[in-house]
Amino acid sequence: MVSRIGKAVIEYLEWGKGVGALLSGIVYWIVFGPFKGKFPRRRYIFQQMVFAGLRSVLLVFFVDFFTGIVLAMQTAYQLEKMGAVIYVASLVAVSMCRELSPVLTGLVVAGRAGSAIAAELGTMKVTEQVEALDTMSINPVRFLCVSRFLALLLMVPCLVILGNLSGILGGFIVGTGSLHINPDLYMQTTFKHLEIKDVYTGLIKAVVFGMIIALIACFEGLNTKGGAEGVGRATTRSVVISFILIILADCVITAFFYFSKI
Amino acid sequence: MKPTDSRNPVISLKNVSKTFQNKKVIDNVSLDIYAGETFIIMGCSGSGKSTLLRVMNGTIRPDEGHVFIKDKDIYHISDEALANIKKNFGMLFQYSALLDSMTVEENVALPLDEHTKLADEIIKIIIKMKLSLVGLRGYEKYYPSQISGGMRKRVGLARAIALDPDIVFYDEPTSGLDPVVGGVIDKLIKDLSAKLLMTSVVVTHDMQSVFGIADRIAMVHKGAIVAVGTPDEIRRSDNPYIQQFINGKPEGPIDFFKEDIGIIQDF
Repeated sequence: MVSRIGKAVIEYLEWGKGVGALLSGIVYWIVFGPFKGKFPRRRYIFQQMVFAGLRSVLLVFFVDFFTGIVLAMQTAYQLEKMGAVIYVASLVAVSMCRELSPVLTGLVVAGRAGSAIAAELGTMKVTEQVEALDTMSINPVRFLCVSRFLALLLMVPCLVILGNLSGILGGFIVGTGSLHINPDLYMQTTFKHLEIKDVYTGLIKAVVFGMIIALIACFEGLNTKGGAEGVGRATTRSVVISFILIILADCVITAFFYFSKI
Repeated sequence: MKPTDSRNPVISLKNVSKTFQNKKVIDNVSLDIYAGETFIIMGCSGSGKSTLLRVMNGTIRPDEGHVFIKDKDIYHISDEALANIKKNFGMLFQYSALLDSMTVEENVALPLDEHTKLADEIIKIIIKMKLSLVGLRGYEKYYPSQISGGMRKRVGLARAIALDPDIVFYDEPTSGLDPVVGGVIDKLIKDLSAKLLMTSVVVTHDMQSVFGIADRIAMVHKGAIVAVGTPDEIRRSDNPYIQQFINGKPEGPIDFFKEDIGIIQDF
């Protein structure tokens, strides 16, 4: 029993070491790559941004839009008892921007882009393509991971802004349609209580989530072992681990902002 | 080209050993390969010949021994120096290992793009030359999934020679191909060595290509070298391992059943 726990702990430590090494590799190439003329082509980064960002737009819109609707109805149910239905507007806006939009967008991107990255890199690994890059003395981390990392780093915050807006739109539809709040009043209340710091704390979360998704997907992809089954396992692992780490990071960051009164 | 021992070897292995999960995959191998020759490493599946190739091309670090490429000990220099030496290598993989997300043209252009500062127009011309060398002009815009296995191998070959390397490694170049395409690949290997004076190291168990293209042959069994010699020497050898292997006989010293745990013990 003790030996089994010890073995599991060692495995986790090894895993953490591997992820840390990958992160330092990626950061190294982002910082020093441009000086060596070894920065990924703009074309590759753009391709990844289109794939991870643009193709997720509709999905993020719907997820956050419906969450906005649900949130408005749920809070209205409570606030009606106190005759404070008008505060639905600010509640939806603040909780979307600070919390729900970053987390939901993160989960959507992890499920969609993260799994695709893990599957793609995993397939490349098991079909010797990664080894081929290495033999051509092209560093796989530089060639494959940096562009994906940068793409997610930039696109997740953009998607979060879109998510904020679609969540507010969802709340607006419920608020004006079914709760009969005056549209002007709804928007006024929204922006009266929504502060700029609510938006940027959400965006800081988004940047961290984007990094987590790219890092875990690249790591699991590049460490795929075995054939098709290994690719499947890497994909599942990347999604599951990203989900857990996103929630964990969200908890830590929220606590930090809450206790430091930002 | 007839190799002589007086010349300096391009690749030199000294007492190289490698163990994977308590199984000795390469067992104290010493080997010299000379400039311009086509050197074939043959052996059964799982005999360690592919691992031997990867030790030579700087992918797998051996546990013991030294690998010299042109007198440089490649596992005792910095990673950057090793990366520079690797630029003089080309490698053809068993399953071609083309990048699926790129077209034929982009695949061949990749090493040029990464390691040279050539203008795009010049790279385009080089790609056309390399593709015509392997008989694939006109397939520039295809993706690897749209062409046949034999064509993928030939694209892989074009990519391997894109930078005009000194040494080209071939991992089972003809496996999984029909005899005609296999013959075409063999002829390409032979031509490239003759025209571009490349040193070729070929891992294979295809007897037709072994005796068709080899200048010298090494027979590997259980990670150790059984014999090295010219095709004639190998053919006339009275070593029972070699005779069993080149004639493909089920009975002989290479025994697949000996190591199995007895069936009765299994029950």
